[in-house]
Amino acid sequence: MVTRTVDLRSDTVTKPTEAMRAAMATAEVDDDVLGYDPTVFRLETEMAKIMGKEAALFVPSGTMGNLISVLTHCDVRGSEVILGDNCHIFIYENGGISTIGGVHPRTVKNNSDGTMDLDLIEAAIRDPRGEIVYPTTRLICLENTHANSGGKCLSAEYTDQVGELAKKHDLKLHIDGARIFNSSVALGVPVDRLVRAADSVSVCLSKGIGAPIGSIIVGSKSFIAKARRLRKTLGGGMRQVGVIAAAALVALQENVGKLESDHKKARLLADGLNEMKGLRVDPVETNIVYVEIEEGLHISAGKIVKNLEERGILVMDVSPSRFNSSFNNIQSVINNRNNC
Amino acid sequence: MVKRIVDLRSDTVTKPTETMRAAMEGAEVGDDVLEHDPTAFHLESEMAKIMGKEAGLFVPSGTMANLISVLVHCESRGSEVILGHNSHIHIYENGGISTLGGVHPRTVKNNDDGTMDIDLIEAAIRDPKEEIVFPTTRLICLENTHCNHGGRCLSVEYTDRVGQIAKKHGLKLHIDGARIFNASVALGVPVDRLVQAADSVSVCLSKGLGAPVGSVIVGSNSFIVKARRLRKTLGGGMRQVGVLCAAALVALKENLPKLESDHKKARLLADGLNKIQGLRVDTSSVETNIIYVEIEEFSGTTAIKLCKDLEEYGILLMQTGLSRLRVALHHQISESDVQFALSCFQKAVNGVQNENGN
Repeated sequence: MVTRTVDLRSDTVTKPTEAMRAAMATAEVDDDVLGYDPTVFRLETEMAKIMGKEAALFVPSGTMGNLISVLTHCDVRGSEVILGDNCHIFIYENGGISTIGGVHPRTVKNNSDGTMDLDLIEAAIRDPRGEIVYPTTRLICLENTHANSGGKCLSAEYTDQVGELAKKHDLKLHIDGARIFNSSVALGVPVDRLVRAADSVSVCLSKGIGAPIGSIIVGSKSFIAKARRLRKTLGGGMRQVGVIAAAALVALQENVGKLESDHKKARLLADGLNEMKGLRVDPVETNIVYVEIEEGLHISAGKIVKNLEERGILVMDVSPSRFNSSFNNIQSVINNRNNC
Repeated sequence: MVKRIVDLRSDTVTKPTETMRAAMEGAEVGDDVLEHDPTAFHLESEMAKIMGKEAGLFVPSGTMANLISVLVHCESRGSEVILGHNSHIHIYENGGISTLGGVHPRTVKNNDDGTMDIDLIEAAIRDPKEEIVFPTTRLICLENTHCNHGGRCLSVEYTDRVGQIAKKHGLKLHIDGARIFNASVALGVPVDRLVQAADSVSVCLSKGLGAPVGSVIVGSNSFIVKARRLRKTLGGGMRQVGVLCAAALVALKENLPKLESDHKKARLLADGLNKIQGLRVDTSSVETNIIYVEIEEFSGTTAIKLCKDLEEYGILLMQTGLSRLRVALHHQISESDVQFALSCFQKAVNGVQNENGN
């Protein structure tokens, strides 16, 4: 009988701590649509400062953070956005940028380290002279850390290079920075430096940072003003939202400092799993571990996931021969040498 | 210096109570995207039961609730929705059903009581024989209570008749029930009976019910499944959302019974305002918690000026036209606040008249 559950499916499963709950209960609030909620205002101001941008906007989810950013940069009909073929926006956001926003995606191959080759990005930019048959490229999106590549970090140098490319062609640059703090910590680069080249960044507070709900978009004042309006249109305009912004403020204070230790635990787990016959683990940079099941093992990912679940270990299967787990604030280290 | 604020701008300004805050603090939560947050599940089940529908879905706002409802009912490209020319969806939701959802709106004139004439609704339904040039009508939307028409209630008989028209033509019926509980209380009709004819209803928890955030959509199981997916697409999929749902559950329990007294206070205020020379209120049309105040020309003031003057007294209102104000009552406005507001109105209007030498 399972008496202990270790949920490694995602860093979104984090539950609010005592301090967060207390902050929620006492938060100063007001109607953030009619005027502004003081606590969310504090959070937005703080995040803008941390990220080195002019302004910020709290939104219910990372999906909305990215959707608003893409749609605001591409607010003219007939726009195209360049993004990785294996990026979260393209794969896991229900195609909303197109189905809801009418923006056309142009994918470029993601390398295994989460980057896209610069020359391939440049080749994907539409020549305005062909506009009679082309959409208009307006935006490039990067993702840092890159989830599907195993939580890989994009360096400040690479990001700057993409930023220069964008500027050269008069495009905007958006970073899906759901896990940007993980990247900043792993690289040892201050987060504002890391995203300096970007016009906008979406940052999740509900993942490794551990808040119950929400993301933040940061960018210029004019960008955020448009974003606020689009947020309302999408239905993300919440009233006394300070109750959740309060938890996010606590999360920022308490948990950014713990990310380094999540990375250590991930490496520990990765090393341990890699030593097991039949399993192969991709290189680990942050808090996400992808595990390949070698053919000789003759067990599918689905079966392993199920076996682990019976033992109280929850992981996510991503294909018949691959599963992943992510670390966040888990106090104990798993030693599952006996499990398979 | 102003010490006392009476915020009559909207019932959305309600702040969470102590019990709500305690509930938020102690809420049982889970990842509502990976599976189902238990407190959200509890709220959604409860709301579905109350509204007499199969299932419910918690969303961050009434705007999202309406957007999702219209878009799910009208999921095929080339759809058209019939709605009031003065409805909230058409006027105050940034045209999202079109700009984001590609749905075409066909407006029908709203009468003063919030209804649309049945024959005009029927005339607005597109004849499928002309589909080569017409979009396809899929949905009719009603709004109850009707915000722009003074919080007036649509009766159950009217709602049923519109439901019959919808069925006759193979259309769906959605009710923007942001303030449906106000209607139910004012009419003395159980809320599930009131919305029986509707395929879906959006219900605000953050207005008169006083929760800090959120609305709930109710409908059939299959409708809600689609709605949940569209909610994710729009970015409304929140993680440990039980913290907000816990407050909403308290709101349902504590504040539903208080709506009747909000209506009483509204009538008291309406009568009082109507007696002030220079102001006019159609008191017979104050059915729930919303009052529209007309400023007579001879008063010598405008809506902007009166709002500003009253703000200095600590009374906050919404200006809705050059000579029109809106007042909304809620459970955090006491009877003494109402009396105080009346006296401030009197002073403000008299003050102007004295200025103008009336």
